[in-house]
Parts: sequence; C-alpha cells; structure tokens
Amino acid sequence: MHFFSQAFTYEHPWHHVVIGMWHKYPNSKCTHVVSIDTLDRTVDPKTGIIRTERLMGCKQKAPAWIVKFFGGSEDAFVREISFVDPSTQNVQITSVNLSLSQFATCYEQIHYSPNPHNPLQQTDFTQTAEVQARLAIWRSAANGLEKWLVQRFEQNAQLGKSGFTEILRQLWEERAQVPLQQGGSESS
Amino acid sequence: MSQSLSPECTPLKKVYDSCFNSWFEGYLEPAIAASTKPEQRTEYAKRKAEEFQANCGKVWEQYKACVQGAVKEKGLDQLLEQAREENPLMEPTPPSK
Repeated sequence: MHFFSQAFTYEHPWHHVVIGMWHKYPNSKCTHVVSIDTLDRTVDPKTGIIRTERLMGCKQKAPAWIVKFFGGSEDAFVREISFVDPSTQNVQITSVNLSLSQFATCYEQIHYSPNPHNPLQQTDFTQTAEVQARLAIWRSAANGLEKWLVQRFEQNAQLGKSGFTEILRQLWEERAQVPLQQGGSESS
Repeated sequence: MSQSLSPECTPLKKVYDSCFNSWFEGYLEPAIAASTKPEQRTEYAKRKAEEFQANCGKVWEQYKACVQGAVKEKGLDQLLEQAREENPLMEPTPPSK
C-alpha cells in the first residue's frame, strides 16, 4: 500500500470554494481530465446534504510497460462521490478508479472546511490517497491459472497416452497381418 | 464547461450543469444561514429540493438517459456496478485521519 497526502488553505470563503468546485474543469493545468458526467444526484429534503455521483474520463499517458502488462489504454475512468453539507460546512469527495481496478485501487479523499482561525475568509483543503494492488486477486488469479494449466496438462497426457496406444495397436496389427496376406497370396 | 464522455450527450450535460449551478449558487448561502435552527433547516432543505426537481428534473431525465446509454456502450456499466457494490458511499463518512 502506498499513501499520499497534502493540505492547503485557500484564500476564499467556504461557499466560494464549494461553488467553484463545480467549475474546476476544464482547467489548463489539468488537461488530463477530458470528460465529466453526473450519474446521480440527490438533495436530502431533511438534512440539505447534496450527494453527487460523477464519472470522470481521463487521458493520461501510462508508461509503456504498464500498458503492455495490464492492457490498459489511454482512457481511464474514475467514479467520484461528493457530499456537500451546508449545515456543518463540510465537503467530502471520494474517488476510486474504475479502469485497471481489477489490479489496483486508488482511493482518494478530499475535504473542504472553513479554516478554524479564519472561517469567513479561508478554506482548508486536505487530500489523502491510498494506492493498493489487489494481491488477493492476483493470488487467486495465479492459483486459477495454475489449476487450469494442470488440468490441461492432465487432459493432454491422457489423450497422449490413449492416442499412442491406438497407434501402436494399429501399427502392429497391420504388420502382423501383412505377412499373413503375403503368405496367403503365395499359396493361391 | 467540460465535455460529456459521449459527444452526443454534451449539449444535454451543459444545460443540466448550468441548471444545477444556478440553483446551487442560490441554495448554498441561505442553507448555511438556515442551519442554525433544525426546523428552519429542514423547511429550507425541503423547499429547495422541490425547487431543484421542478427546475432541473426534466433535463436531468434526458441527460441521465443519454449518459446511461454511453456508459453501457463504453462497457463501463459493469465496472460501475462493481464499484458501487464495493463502496456504496450513500452517506458521508466521518473524517478519519
């Protein structure tokens, strides 16, 4: 598992940052984000919390060995869930990769909240990410591959044995008959 | 404004995003102000949730149908289902770290 984290304070009030959040892309520094779609959105009529599920499409050149090994492509998709809670002035954003998720997951969490010392003018941003290769799945895939190979080997070995048995029988039955036939023609 | 994953959905996406943004920008500050009293907060949340539905509900249905089609076409529907099963994320998790 690998971790990443950073924290930063924006010189804007919380509600400006949260309004700005929906205008973050496209931006010239993040050209790798090429599409954003909303898949689901609810406004909770009791709490006022807005939950949004989005799908981001990214184009990021992966190193050649990664593309070769994992069969990935330039297009990668990420699922993002955000909660905007006006009553606690908290935004929580969680993102998980969809592409290559069978091999590894990147779980990212972002929070925006008013800076405790200057809540009307500053907003704290924290970001953490956990990258984890799916070892369990690797192991079970490797195990499955071994099993399949052994089964194939067993099947082929059985076929090889019965095939050769057949060949031997035919060969020597034929040879046993040839002298008889030759003997028969002499006698006629 | 950003693009949709499918060019044919981009016009609907833009209408929907604009609709949400203008609703949201009117929603946020009064929502913060209304949150000091629980009953006021609920009254406001309920009214604004209905307003959002009334303003953006129609274009949302069209945009959603378009995106769902595009998601299927790109073979992302199964990956999404799997991700939703693994992390439903239906409620905000309390800050852990």
